[in-house]
Amino acid sequence: MQFDWTGILTGAPLEWLKTGIVTTLVVTVVGSLLAALLTLGLLSLRLAGQKSLRALAVGITELFRNTPILVQILFWYFGAYNLLPRGWRDWINDDHPWATLPGNVPLLSPEFIASAWGLGLFTAVFVTEEIRAGLAAVSPGQSEAALSQGFSRWQTLRHVLLPQALSNAFQPVVGQFLNLMKLSSLATAIGLWEITYQVRQIESYNSHALEAFAAGTLLYLTIGLIMGRALLLLDPAKRRPLTPAPQPVEVRDAV
Amino acid sequence: MNEAPAPIIEFRQAEKSYGPHQVIRGVDLTVNKGEVVVICGPSGSGKSTLIRLVNRLESLSDGDILINGRSTAHLDGAELRRLRTSVGFVFQQFNLYPHLTAHGNITLALEKVLKLGKAEADRRAEELLNRVGLADKGQHYPSQLSGGQQQRVAIARTLAMQPEILLFDEPTSALDPEMIGEVLAVIRQLAEGGSTMLVVTHEMGFAREVADRVVFIDQGQILEDAPPAQFFGATRHPRARHFLKQLLSPLHNDGE
Amino acid sequence: MLFDPNVILGNLDYLLWGRMAQGEPGGLLLTLLLSLSAGIASLGLGIPMGLLAWSRPGPIRQTLFWWADLIRGIPLIFVIFWVYFLVPALLGRDVPGSLSVILALAWFTSAAVMYSTVAGLDALPKGQWEAAQASGMSRLQALRWVLLPQALRNLRPSFVGLFISLIKDTSLAFILNVPELTTVAGQVNNRTQLYPTEIFLFTAALYFLLCGGLARLGQATSRVK
Repeated sequence: MQFDWTGILTGAPLEWLKTGIVTTLVVTVVGSLLAALLTLGLLSLRLAGQKSLRALAVGITELFRNTPILVQILFWYFGAYNLLPRGWRDWINDDHPWATLPGNVPLLSPEFIASAWGLGLFTAVFVTEEIRAGLAAVSPGQSEAALSQGFSRWQTLRHVLLPQALSNAFQPVVGQFLNLMKLSSLATAIGLWEITYQVRQIESYNSHALEAFAAGTLLYLTIGLIMGRALLLLDPAKRRPLTPAPQPVEVRDAV
Repeated sequence: MNEAPAPIIEFRQAEKSYGPHQVIRGVDLTVNKGEVVVICGPSGSGKSTLIRLVNRLESLSDGDILINGRSTAHLDGAELRRLRTSVGFVFQQFNLYPHLTAHGNITLALEKVLKLGKAEADRRAEELLNRVGLADKGQHYPSQLSGGQQQRVAIARTLAMQPEILLFDEPTSALDPEMIGEVLAVIRQLAEGGSTMLVVTHEMGFAREVADRVVFIDQGQILEDAPPAQFFGATRHPRARHFLKQLLSPLHNDGE
Repeated sequence: MLFDPNVILGNLDYLLWGRMAQGEPGGLLLTLLLSLSAGIASLGLGIPMGLLAWSRPGPIRQTLFWWADLIRGIPLIFVIFWVYFLVPALLGRDVPGSLSVILALAWFTSAAVMYSTVAGLDALPKGQWEAAQASGMSRLQALRWVLLPQALRNLRPSFVGLFISLIKDTSLAFILNVPELTTVAGQVNNRTQLYPTEIFLFTAALYFLLCGGLARLGQATSRVK
């Protein structure tokens, strides 16, 4: 097998790859922001006092966890998008210079919106579950201590339980956001010009399948690595020492 | 006690059941202001449940508990929270907030529940850390402190709220033996300062020296309630006698 | 907004079992066939790898874990493409799309199976291994008769979860036009053009019933123990 890298790293293929990279990155970022916002909403529902709100949250979670993300994206793109008011859709289809990437690539497109929304919602469901699991792992004594001090249920969640839950759930939550980036590859099915789409385009343009797929693989691995490292820097547990601080030899407290 | 006794806690026919299992049966108990009452009993006797009923970590199935003459059985919401701010609870497992420093553990409720300003909260925290002998540990996290130190921080955290009543649920049972002394010393200081305290404990030496009364509970009922001299010297109820015998000389059990 | 169930009813047989009559299973039926094949293959690949990784800590385990991380680090869709292009090149002959999908899914899922197997073996009390050794069993015998049976029983819920994920992952066969449920739904949508909401909601509902049902079944059987 011969590798011809110039076939993909020059001219039109290179431009396509660049567009692909930017699109993947932007849809990942926007999708992640949406996911974070939606997580707040879903978590509030999940932890609400009223049983009906909690049941709603559970229902949403079950729905989005038991259906494939691809089907969800297809639904948002083919089905739900057309239910948006006509005026909105026209506005989206217009040219917007502020939302155009170099190479005349429009960001505000039905494909982009369906992808970002679909990925964001899907990820929010999983992140909420991870946080909920993190909450369950907090010792019940914490709740008792806070209630004993007169904290209300919401105050207990906010000041005592959630900080610990987020710390417990940090690694899995980072994993979910990394997954969002990888799942962005599915948007190729609806024609979003992200990395996978571009790789297939190159392959059909000059048949350099091996090189193109190798490049795509490398790109995803690299983005994943950088994203992973960057997010892990935010780990709250890193700021708290686990081992006892070095102690000077101390005289025992006089009783 | 130089004044007429003023009941601050009154259990009136207090009952607590979990389904068919009755844990507290018809308990009447009065605690006066400034009294130190030690509660002891075999495991499963309901002693922890008894004090947990006072700050409503458990709810009564029947009967009532009056605090300062006011019924608390049906308190809820903001009133319940207000009650809890005036009743301090020290746990067997300390239950310090691991994501906060010792200082932070003390100031959290001061700022968020009592709505004190940061300066005042900080001041109280430092004063209390000093009082329990941990002045230099303010910036340490619970994971960096020994069990005895953690429990002392927990006591400081409770004192910071300036509660009327202090409840201790086996405060030294989870500690290694060499650290029990430092915690008992702090609790003793509080007792000598005139605080109203209910202490569930196995430390009979402490009970003998510090308590105003010792209460023995078994299978949800109070069987003995007397000042230490009488409790240890002239125990009346046979099961209380049996319990003391097992506790104080475990190697000499005849299987009585 | 009109919700027309006729598009579903009219295409129901195609969605459920594709062109079974002509000997080409499709739709939900093909989804199940793909999932079962890939599932069995992933167990056949993943459990031995897990055994190897568990019993040979050090460089072998590191390499296997590194390999698994590599596979899981690229999107599944890429794994499918790699298999689709590489396997024919290696075998020198064409490979049907469905086989590519099965191989790719098996390969991808085997990494998770491997990790689970290692975790399951690690979670067993050390005393089991020692008791087996004490009665003179060889390492292999201990694994075969004492450790693995227990680990696999404990891992059942985890494997059910992986299988449910596998069912959802078969939807990626869309990209190779293999006529499983999602692809078929897409075809119906292309043909009829006017009823995307009905079609994809119905498709989602089928997956939901399948995956949700399996999840409930899995919980029920593990509780019975």
